[in-house]
Amino acid sequence: MGNSSANAKMQQLNKKFRVTGISSGVISGLTYGIYTTLVLVAGLYEPLVSAVGLLAVPFVTSGLNDFLAGLWLLLYNGGKGRLKELGRSLNTFPGKMVVVGALIGGPVANGAYLAGLAMAGAYAIPISATCSLFGALFAWIFLKQKPTKRVVLGMVICVAGAITINWVKPEGSPNFTIGIICALVAAVSWGLEGVISSYGGSMLDTDVAVNIRELVSGAVTMIVVVPLIAAFPLMAATVKAGVPLLILGLSGLSAAISFLCWYKANSMVGCAIGMSLNVTYAFWGVIFCVLFLGEVLTPTIVAGSVIIVLGAVIVTMNPLDLLKKEA
Amino acid sequence: MLLPARTAVLNFLYQAGEADIDKIMEALKPMYGTEKQFNKKMFMEHAMSLEANGLAEMKSYELGQDGELMLRYQITDDGRSTVEKYVPVTFRRKEGK
Repeated sequence: MGNSSANAKMQQLNKKFRVTGISSGVISGLTYGIYTTLVLVAGLYEPLVSAVGLLAVPFVTSGLNDFLAGLWLLLYNGGKGRLKELGRSLNTFPGKMVVVGALIGGPVANGAYLAGLAMAGAYAIPISATCSLFGALFAWIFLKQKPTKRVVLGMVICVAGAITINWVKPEGSPNFTIGIICALVAAVSWGLEGVISSYGGSMLDTDVAVNIRELVSGAVTMIVVVPLIAAFPLMAATVKAGVPLLILGLSGLSAAISFLCWYKANSMVGCAIGMSLNVTYAFWGVIFCVLFLGEVLTPTIVAGSVIIVLGAVIVTMNPLDLLKKEA
Repeated sequence: MLLPARTAVLNFLYQAGEADIDKIMEALKPMYGTEKQFNKKMFMEHAMSLEANGLAEMKSYELGQDGELMLRYQITDDGRSTVEKYVPVTFRRKEGK
């Protein structure tokens, strides 16, 4: 009797752990879609809307967004009594790996993602979502996490979706292809970050790791990248303007929740599943951009987004399992 | 400076070989006991995440007298080599006796 109720409790606990991991992945996708939309909304306000240069706005917004996300996370970890863990983690080798991941995922990937969005609009979103494919590929090479046939099939479907989206170029966007290439750079970088963070995160508290990630990414973008591209006056003007800063505060909150959930999912249910659930942001991002920003919905973007999300689901789980009854 | 809490859990398993959550918390209490993060929920999450990452594995479980599950974990070969690679020798001696 005692044994069977222990078994039942254990099953319940394992189920809860897995459900938490999977739902963290789903929430990370939804909140990333919200973050994407809010950053674009911030760009509609002065001084961002009339700024010149392809890189200035993406890096100013991503720097401010990540840094504000880092501050939200400091509040969260402070509430949980974990502020000391930040220094302790940075003092270890895996903590330093998180910093390397942050530099690849932050200034490189976020900057490329936002530049892609600026040049190719919502089309860039699903392209960047192929990061799950690169994540699984790098996990295979570096972590020796061999993907199953089903995972490979899902990955191929994701690529097919990305190609579908790119099939018909929208009219009147001269930088469309460069935008798509930027989105692809973001995807490769995020794939690398996912593997590095899953590696570093395996012996660190992921809530602490993601806090380090956002603070490092935001600070390096603001202190190093923004002055390098001569965008410091734009950043100062954005902070002074108020409203765009407020919107970036909200986008930072969404990004904080998204990354918190993404890292948690990676460490609870594995890198491949965590990343595949995260990429459902492609679906949400496109929907929000159509609803709130008046982006035009074309048949290719609808078909491509659905195919990518379908591929992500197949990477994550065997749809046939839903039909099976428990033995 | 102390090790991060999750690393300290792995480091303790490295020394003890296997232990349940209560034992792990008892051993780490002198170092982390005054911190708000020192609670059972957090330590169960540490152990289960280490397990999900292949650094530890569950050895056994049973119901304690309070009707709560007592989970017993042991370190894996991967966990052992991770500690040997990334936890400084001084910590391996100092903590979790």
